[in-house]
Amino acid sequence: MLLVGATLGLGAYAVAVLDGVGARVAAGGRLRLMDIAAGPLRRAALLARTSRSTTERPDLQAWALAPAIVAGMAAAAVAAVPFGPGIAVADVDDGIVLFGAAMAVVMVGVYLHGWSANSPMPLVGGYRFIALALSYEMPLALVLIAAALPAESLAVGAIVESQHDLWNVVRQPLGLPLYLVAGTGLAFWGPLNGADGPDLAGGTSAEVSGPALLAWELARRFVLVAVAVVGAAVFLGGWQGPILPGPAWMALKTLALLAVLVWAGHRLARVRLERFVVVAWAVLIPLALVDVFVSGALAL
Amino acid sequence: MGVIARLASGADVPVFPVVAAGGRLAAEALRLLPGVRVEDTPRAATVLVVVGRLTRALLHPALVVHDQLPQPRATVWMPIGVDEAGDPEGLLSAFPSVTTVGAGDTAGLRTVFADLVSGVRASDSPALPDMEPAHWRGVGPYGHGGAGMTGGVPFGRPLPARAPDPDGLELDQLPLQLGPLHPGLPPGLVLHVGLQGDVVRHAEVGANPYQSWPGDPAPGPLDTATFVDALRLPTPVADLELARARHHLRWVAQALRLHGLEALGLRVAALGGSLSPTDRCTVQAVTRRLAGSRSLAWATAGVGVTDGGLLDGIETRLETGPVRRAAGDTGDARSDDPAYQGLGFEPVVHQGADAWARLRQRLAEATQAMDLAERAGMRVRDPGPALEGPRGTIRLDAAMPSTALCELLPALLAGSEWGDAVTTVASLDLDVEEAALARSGSAPASGGRIAGTPTGSGHQNGGRPGAGAR
Repeated sequence: MLLVGATLGLGAYAVAVLDGVGARVAAGGRLRLMDIAAGPLRRAALLARTSRSTTERPDLQAWALAPAIVAGMAAAAVAAVPFGPGIAVADVDDGIVLFGAAMAVVMVGVYLHGWSANSPMPLVGGYRFIALALSYEMPLALVLIAAALPAESLAVGAIVESQHDLWNVVRQPLGLPLYLVAGTGLAFWGPLNGADGPDLAGGTSAEVSGPALLAWELARRFVLVAVAVVGAAVFLGGWQGPILPGPAWMALKTLALLAVLVWAGHRLARVRLERFVVVAWAVLIPLALVDVFVSGALAL
Repeated sequence: MGVIARLASGADVPVFPVVAAGGRLAAEALRLLPGVRVEDTPRAATVLVVVGRLTRALLHPALVVHDQLPQPRATVWMPIGVDEAGDPEGLLSAFPSVTTVGAGDTAGLRTVFADLVSGVRASDSPALPDMEPAHWRGVGPYGHGGAGMTGGVPFGRPLPARAPDPDGLELDQLPLQLGPLHPGLPPGLVLHVGLQGDVVRHAEVGANPYQSWPGDPAPGPLDTATFVDALRLPTPVADLELARARHHLRWVAQALRLHGLEALGLRVAALGGSLSPTDRCTVQAVTRRLAGSRSLAWATAGVGVTDGGLLDGIETRLETGPVRRAAGDTGDARSDDPAYQGLGFEPVVHQGADAWARLRQRLAEATQAMDLAERAGMRVRDPGPALEGPRGTIRLDAAMPSTALCELLPALLAGSEWGDAVTTVASLDLDVEEAALARSGSAPASGGRIAGTPTGSGHQNGGRPGAGAR
């Protein structure tokens, strides 16, 4: 439990700091590291001291539940990942399926968050996430299946060990890029932030304030961290690496993936939803299928 | 003060701006202030910042937004121009408490914020009574006033009604007013839309909140004031062209924010804010980088296409301007302007007529303006009846370009997804305050403000947001 909590907590803080650095670099301003390091904590403190808003007839229970669902699913996903040989909360036999299932339930959490405010902009944000989710879930599931083929197991630990000689990022070059696109969408981050974008005045979080906003922003970053942790394990060889201990390698690889995701958020414009769905079905899913077929043929 | 309170008072000040008359430039500049965080929703803000002169039509929406800020909250007013009668009607007295802070005065804003978080300053109480806009019990079998399970206006909120969608299905269509304070739209723009999910089925432009009523002070200062003033006063060509480049860079910054590239937008805004003739190469570099961006092309190509005679089908004539030139039209008032003779001016033109063409058009015009400013030297333009402004031709006796641009909206937005609608509106670069000014039919005077009759204070609906000439 501590491992999962520490991973998500530190990971979310790392996302905030990386995002601060990315924003300063993109804006061409000076890097004041002290402000960037303290900024997320100050904002969290402010949100914690701010009152919770309410709307006309919200669905209060669902509203409170939404961030818990999203955060809980991120935690479930991280629990299945080993951080070193034998260091995992629950390296279950079908950990990769668990991750895929957890990410599918994130959809429920995001939609509930949009629905329960009883307000138009959050609701449209929720609709958008549902409309796009299948386009993320399909390539995600396919590239994970492809990664499981050489390991002949659905356990994340076995997938990590199967990369002893060659990381999946090299063995299956299509895998990681497709996985990161899907992961960005699942965390509604950067270019795929349809659910909470500025064009919807904040989307599903347009009506939340104070502790509820803090919980939501954390939950959303937890998903991003979970995506990076699983990505590090499944595509970058997990805890394997010379000299440093396993957990250190996992931390480094996770941070590297988070840096890529955050960098993309500051470099790529928000995509048009309709066009993204077309590309997802016409390009991403076929590529993911190619990934599965080629990986399967090689594994035979 | 506890640890949490001390940490909290060091946070970036989350503000939600209410862009009132003449406040657009200062409101945009808020984003560049260090230690200030402009939020997309009032729920995430701690300080409501009213920038400029509040109008009667903006008062009610501003009070509603005020009450949406969570506690602790405070209201700050940034007047534009010190000697102006900033609030002649006493509208600001409808807020529980207002602290006046100079535009761009970060320290003043921080003081208000720190006092609020540490408890020295009391949090604002609500400005409006917390009650239903209307009663639930209406007419019809379910009491909501509609037919079957849809339609009607329970609690004054219209329920969706059935309407056909493009696939021939009957789907719920939600009538909605967006604006005048929606962060995805230009300040003051009110859109009445019918939304089917994320798709705009129809859109009409609502009453202009900057519209002056008899006895109101004149609107402005506009963000195109340099150009409007040049109709009457001799102005150096270099000044005009620098102002044009600055205007386009400002616009690029806002567009980038809406495309999810806020940090990059800040860089462009900072460049525009401190633009000097020596920045020619930097502007060129920005142009090259953005015009070569595949992800921006992907986000804007094919969005908001002004083809099929759309530009000629509106009531007010849109003579020239980047929107026309991005559709392949070479019209530009500078071509016939004696002040530009011999400067080697050739209108820049793009094809495509979409948001991507308009983005590249304005980038190219910004670069061109820097070149012209350099070549113009000390040349001065004499006052004349017509002048090419950054949105199109400005005349002493005709509507401003924004009036025509607003008229394009219903036809352009119908059928597009909301995200594309926001992209489209942004790509037109319209200014609602400029459109308000045009209706009077005469060019604006910079001074000559007439104090209106002060209205009573209190918590009544001083606003009448639905009223106004339209």
